[in-house]
Amino acid sequence: MKRWLLVFLLIVALTGLPVFAETKTLNFLEVMTSPERTVLIKGMIGDYEASHPGVKINLISPPYEQADQKATLMLNSNQPLDIIEVRDNTIKQFVNNNKLANLGKDYRSWKEAKTLTPVAMMAAKTVNNTLYIVPQCIFVKALFVRKDILEKNGITTVPGTIADLVKTCEKITDSAKNQYGFAWRGKSSEMKFADFFASAGITDIKKDTLLYSDTKNYFTDPRYVAGMKIYIELFQKSAPKDAINWGFNEQINGFVSGITPFLMQDPDAIPLIDKMLDPNKYIVIPMPVGPTGSAYLDYGFTGLGIPSYSKNQKQAWDFISWMNSAEKNGYFCEHYGTLPVQSTAFSANKYFQGKHYTAFLTEMTNSKKYFFRPFPQSSTKWPGWDAIHTADLQSVLLGQAKLETVLTKWKEYWSK
Amino acid sequence: MRRNYNGFLFMLMIPAFLLLAVLIFFPVVKGMVIAFQNYNLNNPLSMVHFNGLDNFKAILFDTNFNFWQIIINTLIWIYVSLFFQFTLGLILALLLREPFRGRGIYSGLVFYPWALSGFAIGLIWSWMFNGQFGIVNDLLQRAHLIHLNVGFLSDPKLAMISVIIVNIWYGVPFFAIMLLAGLQSIPKELFEAAEIDGAGSVKRLFFIILPYIKTTIVSTVLLRTIWIMNFPEIIYAMTSGGPNNATNILSTQMINKLVKFYDYGQGSAVGVIIMVILFAFAFIYLKVSGAKEEGAA
Repeated sequence: MKRWLLVFLLIVALTGLPVFAETKTLNFLEVMTSPERTVLIKGMIGDYEASHPGVKINLISPPYEQADQKATLMLNSNQPLDIIEVRDNTIKQFVNNNKLANLGKDYRSWKEAKTLTPVAMMAAKTVNNTLYIVPQCIFVKALFVRKDILEKNGITTVPGTIADLVKTCEKITDSAKNQYGFAWRGKSSEMKFADFFASAGITDIKKDTLLYSDTKNYFTDPRYVAGMKIYIELFQKSAPKDAINWGFNEQINGFVSGITPFLMQDPDAIPLIDKMLDPNKYIVIPMPVGPTGSAYLDYGFTGLGIPSYSKNQKQAWDFISWMNSAEKNGYFCEHYGTLPVQSTAFSANKYFQGKHYTAFLTEMTNSKKYFFRPFPQSSTKWPGWDAIHTADLQSVLLGQAKLETVLTKWKEYWSK
Repeated sequence: MRRNYNGFLFMLMIPAFLLLAVLIFFPVVKGMVIAFQNYNLNNPLSMVHFNGLDNFKAILFDTNFNFWQIIINTLIWIYVSLFFQFTLGLILALLLREPFRGRGIYSGLVFYPWALSGFAIGLIWSWMFNGQFGIVNDLLQRAHLIHLNVGFLSDPKLAMISVIIVNIWYGVPFFAIMLLAGLQSIPKELFEAAEIDGAGSVKRLFFIILPYIKTTIVSTVLLRTIWIMNFPEIIYAMTSGGPNNATNILSTQMINKLVKFYDYGQGSAVGVIIMVILFAFAFIYLKVSGAKEEGAA
């Protein structure tokens, strides 16, 4: 009997089964790859597949350094891809080459589109005011403070303004003891820090949609120059000289080691810092404001889009809307360390009510103090601007060029 | 018969030739074509067209990244690295020539850097040279050689020296391996004869060893020059070409144009410039070194 059953099962398996259960496979390319994050996404995919029989998600995870290149290559050669992770710095070129499907229609029929945070909605419409992606993670900066180090140096208050921050940093700096104030950023997107300090005093930007653009910039405005001078002074008086070559990792090390107790960073730094430092030793507070009581914040994002040539767009949307529901998005961001895109995730998920996250929520909800003005990422002048800005600012810090000369050059670059 | 045989040989070469065509010739030709196009990912690819020498002009007269500074950096990077890699590699090969106890293990350890990826080496050394947390600073302070931390990668002059030191560390094993192979092919009788004639070690080096391994030296130096010029990983991981372009060389500039500017046209133009320089160098070098005669002999 057993033998017959086995033969029957074998015959079914070999001939009949594929007809009954046709599996649809979707290819999903992630770009912000790290081993932990890939495991996290794979787990979520497992949940999705369990509740959606007949759908299989094939996750492609290239090494981080090559991921954006791989995405560009796959899209430009129309390789089979149904879901793609798109970043703030790649969205423009994907749209330019007509590689992303317009998701406007899907958004209209999606209930949870209404609960997306305002910042997430801004991110979704980054290019041509059109919905090409559903944002998944938001990156906003806040001020990380090592309270223990400040107390050791006799400081009991935390800075609320840029002027306070600069003063406190100078006060505690003592290079002989290897004690400095600010975790300065010298390379890789350093303009995000420079522009925060330099633009904080310019009230006019409130009327603009971007921090600067091809049509408008403030590089030679006396208020911008003054802000920039303060930022440079911060380097000269309160940062290690080596910080001219500091990127993300060095900043984090400076903060964790206590050499630089003030750090401006995104929320994804929290899980990283918590691994190396007792979470009770530091606090996260809203960014300091400029002389007029307000500041401009930039935001970064990654989101999910559908390649325009995908043959499984409907199923891909189903997966994307599932991944970005309040529950799943909250779960994902909690473990990845970024800010959720669903406003309801902040109230539903206790993790985001924790003390290290309240500062970010304050920034995103206090619209009188904090103005979200993103960088002109749609501009053709944006790619490479980082490299130009870094080299120029380094030349000023090294005393090889004058600040005014560099600022005039930047003005010309953006006005040309 | 002879003709048939040649035809047969040609047939045998076709698979290898096809493989080379797909993997090497096609990308090279494609890259050269792109160098003359406005191939920029910021614009729709449907707008790509030939733009003459615009990319080359943009690279030569770039106000943000001074081309001549990049050329000077490239020359310093190549020749200082090469000089020390060769000299130390030769010394190492001479030391490893005679058998001694534990030579196998010792050679393995010494040759180890050559097996590592350039990017990983750059990351490891960037922490070692770090001006705040680096072990190099720590050791120098403990030895009372410095008082305050030195910014190895933040000082424009030291940054170039630092990346070159790493490159030397990485490249010495290659010369040691290649030259050692050359040294071991020298017949022992020559040394015995030299000894009888009363030649000292210096004379032996210049009149026996070096002339005997000249072909190896000529080819390895040429190979290394090409590789070092096309080796941006260490610099990219340690300084990204900074501070203020102090360590920016042609190959890092090429990556810069591709990865940061998304400008494949200008990136390819840098690639073509590298190729032209290398061709010119190889031509002159082979003429001057008389490699052909040596090879024919």
